[in-house]
Amino acid sequence: MFDMSPYLVLIPLLPLLASALIAFLGPRFLRQHSHWPCILAVLTSCVLSILVLFSLGQHEEGPLKHSYYTWIPADNLSIAFALQADGLTAIMLTAITFIGSLIAIYSVGYMHGDPGYARFFAEISLFIFSMTGLVLADNFLLLYAFWEGVGLCSYLLIGFWFTRPSAAAAAKKAFLVTRLGDLGFFIAILMIWTGISDTLSYDSVFQFKDNSGFMTAVCLLLFCGAVGKSAQFPLHVWLPDAMEGPTPVSALIHAATMVTAGVYLVARCTPLFVQSATAQVIVASIGAFTALLAALIAVTQNDLKRVLAYSTISQLGYMFLALGCGTLAIGAATPGAAMALMSMAVVAAIFHLYTHAFFKALLFLSAGSVMHAMGNVIDMRRFSGLRKVLPRTHWTFLCGALALAGFPLLAGFWSKDEILAAALGASLEGHPYRGVYLVLFVTGVATAGLTAFYTFRAYFMTFWGEERIPPEAGHHAHESPPVMTVPLMILAAGAVFIGYVHAEPLTDWLGHFLEEHTTPLRGAGHELIPAALKYVPLASGTLMALGGIFLAWWMYVRQAGLSARLAESVPRLYQMSLNKFYFDELYSFFIIQPIIGLAEFCRVIDLYVVDGLVDIVAEIPRLFGVLFRPIQNGLTQFYALAMALGVAVFLVAMVWRMALAP
Amino acid sequence: MNELPMLHNYLVVGAILFALGTVGFLARRNLIVMFLSAEMMLQGVSLNLVAFARYRSNLQGQAFTLFIITVAACEAGIALALILMLYRRRRSLDVTLWQELREPTVEPTFDEEPLPPPPVEEPLPRLTPAGLEPVHGQETSHV
Repeated sequence: MFDMSPYLVLIPLLPLLASALIAFLGPRFLRQHSHWPCILAVLTSCVLSILVLFSLGQHEEGPLKHSYYTWIPADNLSIAFALQADGLTAIMLTAITFIGSLIAIYSVGYMHGDPGYARFFAEISLFIFSMTGLVLADNFLLLYAFWEGVGLCSYLLIGFWFTRPSAAAAAKKAFLVTRLGDLGFFIAILMIWTGISDTLSYDSVFQFKDNSGFMTAVCLLLFCGAVGKSAQFPLHVWLPDAMEGPTPVSALIHAATMVTAGVYLVARCTPLFVQSATAQVIVASIGAFTALLAALIAVTQNDLKRVLAYSTISQLGYMFLALGCGTLAIGAATPGAAMALMSMAVVAAIFHLYTHAFFKALLFLSAGSVMHAMGNVIDMRRFSGLRKVLPRTHWTFLCGALALAGFPLLAGFWSKDEILAAALGASLEGHPYRGVYLVLFVTGVATAGLTAFYTFRAYFMTFWGEERIPPEAGHHAHESPPVMTVPLMILAAGAVFIGYVHAEPLTDWLGHFLEEHTTPLRGAGHELIPAALKYVPLASGTLMALGGIFLAWWMYVRQAGLSARLAESVPRLYQMSLNKFYFDELYSFFIIQPIIGLAEFCRVIDLYVVDGLVDIVAEIPRLFGVLFRPIQNGLTQFYALAMALGVAVFLVAMVWRMALAP
Repeated sequence: MNELPMLHNYLVVGAILFALGTVGFLARRNLIVMFLSAEMMLQGVSLNLVAFARYRSNLQGQAFTLFIITVAACEAGIALALILMLYRRRRSLDVTLWQELREPTVEPTFDEEPLPPPPVEEPLPRLTPAGLEPVHGQETSHV
C-alpha cells in the first residue's frame, strides 16, 4: 500500500499556497477569477483527505504519522513540526474540506461583485489551511499555533465588511472573547510541558496517568480554551455577533468547522479528561447548560441568522455534553463498561459534529440564499410565505431544519440519539456523579424539544403564511443562481443521508472506524446499555422532536396570533429571552465598565503625573538656557569674534602652561 | 648657513597677513571684503607652511600649500556665487542684513550710527565712438 504519511503536509499546504497566490495576484490580475485557486486547492485537499481516510482503513499499525523537522530545539523543549492522521483527524479532515469546497463554490455566487472578492477567497483559503493544520498537528504547541491561526481568520472574516462599525466591533469582540479562552489553553500547555512531557507530542502526553488535582486543573484549562473557541457559556457571547460576517463565513467558520475546534480538542484529549471525573462532569454540565440556555434564547430571536447562531451554540453544547460523559473513574469492577462509555461518548460527539457540520452549513447557506433574494433583509418579521418565490431554497432549508430538529431517520436524529444515550449511560450505576448525569439527560431531552420548536418557528415564519417581500428586495426577488443552489442540494442530500454512517442500530461504520483507528478508543466494547434502556433516548428524542415541530406549526401556522398572545401573557420571560438573558449587559456592567474606568484612571495618572514629571525634568535645561540665549543674535561677525577670542584665550592658556612648566 | 633669521622674516610676514585678515573679517561689513580678508588669513597660514617647509628642507609644506591654493580657488568660485545670490535678494552687500539665525526671543541688532550713503559719483565723460569722423566746424585758425 502506498504510504500517505509524508504527503499529509499537502492537505494544509495547498490552501496556503492558494491563499498566497490570491493575496498577491488577486486584486490586480485574477479579479473575478480569484475563486479558482481557492476552489481547486480545497478540492484537492478534499481528495487527499478521502485518500487518507481510505489508506487508514488499510493501514493496520496505528495512525499515519510524519515528522518533518524539529521546529523548536531548545534546551529541554523539543517541538517537532510533525503531522499525524488517525481516525478522528481523518473524519474531521473530510468534513472540513468537503464542506469547505462546497461553501467556496457557493460563495462564487454569493460574493459576486463584492469589492473584496479576492480578499474573501484568500482568507477562506487561509482558514482552510489553519483548520486542516489544527486537526493534523501532532503536538500541543503546533495545535495551538493553528488554533490561533483559525482565530485570526475568524477575526478577518467577521470583519470582512470592516467599513461597517458593527462588523468591526463584532470582529473585535470575537477575537477578544476567544483570547480569554486561549489564555487558559496556553496555561494548560505550559502545565503539560512542565508536568508531563518535554515534546508536547500527543503520544507522550496521553500516556500520563494521574488522578490528583493536577490532572483536573490541566483538563479544565484545556476546556477553557475549548469554551472560548466553541462559544460555550460563559464565553458564548461572541458567536451571535459573528453573524455580521458574510453568510458563507457564518456557515463555514461559525457553524460547521472552526467552532468545532473546541470539541475536537476535548475529544483529542479524551485520555486526559477521562482520568478526572470532576473535570468531566463540569464539561458535561456546561455543555448541557449552554445547550438549554442557547435554545431558550433562540426561541424568541427574530433574526434568521441569529436563530441559527444560537442553535449552533446549543448544538455545540450537546457535543460537550456527550464528551463529558466518558470517564474511567466509573468503578474498578467494570473496566469494560468504562471503556465502552468513553468510546460511546467520543463517537457520539464526533458523530454529532459531523452531521451538524452538514445540516448547519446547509441551513446557513439557505438563509444566505433567502438574504440574497430579500436584498440583505434577514429579519423574519419582514418577510414570509417564500415557498413559491424560493422553491429550491425552501426544500433545502426544510431538509436542514428536519435534520436539526431530529426528525426520525434524518442525520440529526441519529446523532442526537447517540448523545442522549451517552448521557443516559453515564447516569447508570457506578458513576461517581450519576445523579448529575440523569439531570443532564433530562436537560438534553428538553433541549431537543426546544430545538425542534425554534427551528420550525424560523421555517414557518420564513416560508409559510401570506407572501410578503420587503421593499429592499425590489422587483427581482428570485431564486439564487445554480452556483448557489447546487451546493445547497448536495448538502441537503448530506443532511438527509449522512446519518447512516452511524445509524445505530442499523449501521455503525463511523463508530467502528473511530474505535479502530483512534488510539485511546481501541478495543472498546459495547456491553454498556441494557437492551431495555436502548430505546429510551430514541423514543424520548423522537417524541420531543415531533412535539416541537407540531407546537411550532400550531403556534405559527394554525393559530398565527397565538405566539404574540403568549408573549404578552409572560412578558418577563419573553423579554429575558429576547434580550439574550442580558448577558451582554451583565458583562458590560461587571467587566467592561470597570475596565474602562480603570483605563480612564490610568490615563489621568499618565497625563498629569507621569507627563508632569517628564515636563519638569525638561524645564530645568530650559531655565539654564535663559543665561545663554542672548548670545545667539545671528550676527556672523559676532560669532567670528567669539571664536577668535576663544582661540586667543586657549592660546594664552597654553603659553602660560608652557611658561610655568619646569 | 644660519637660516633661522630668514625663517623669522617669513613668519612675521605670515603673522601680519593673518592679523590683517582677522581684523578685516571682524571689522568690515561688506561681504566681498570679508571674503577677501578670509583669503588673506589663508595666505598668511600658507606662507607659514612654505617657510617651515623651506626651513626643514622638505617639500610637504609646499605640496600642502599647492592644495590650499587650489581649494581656495574653488572656494572663491562658490563664495562669490553665494554672495551674488545674497546681493540679489537684498540689493546690498551688508552682512548685518542677514540675522535670521538668531534665537526667536532675541531682538535683531541695528546699527546705531549708520554709515553715510555712498557719494554719488560724477558720471564719466562720454567719449565719441571711434571710427567716425568728428563733425568739422568752421576752422578757428588759419595759421
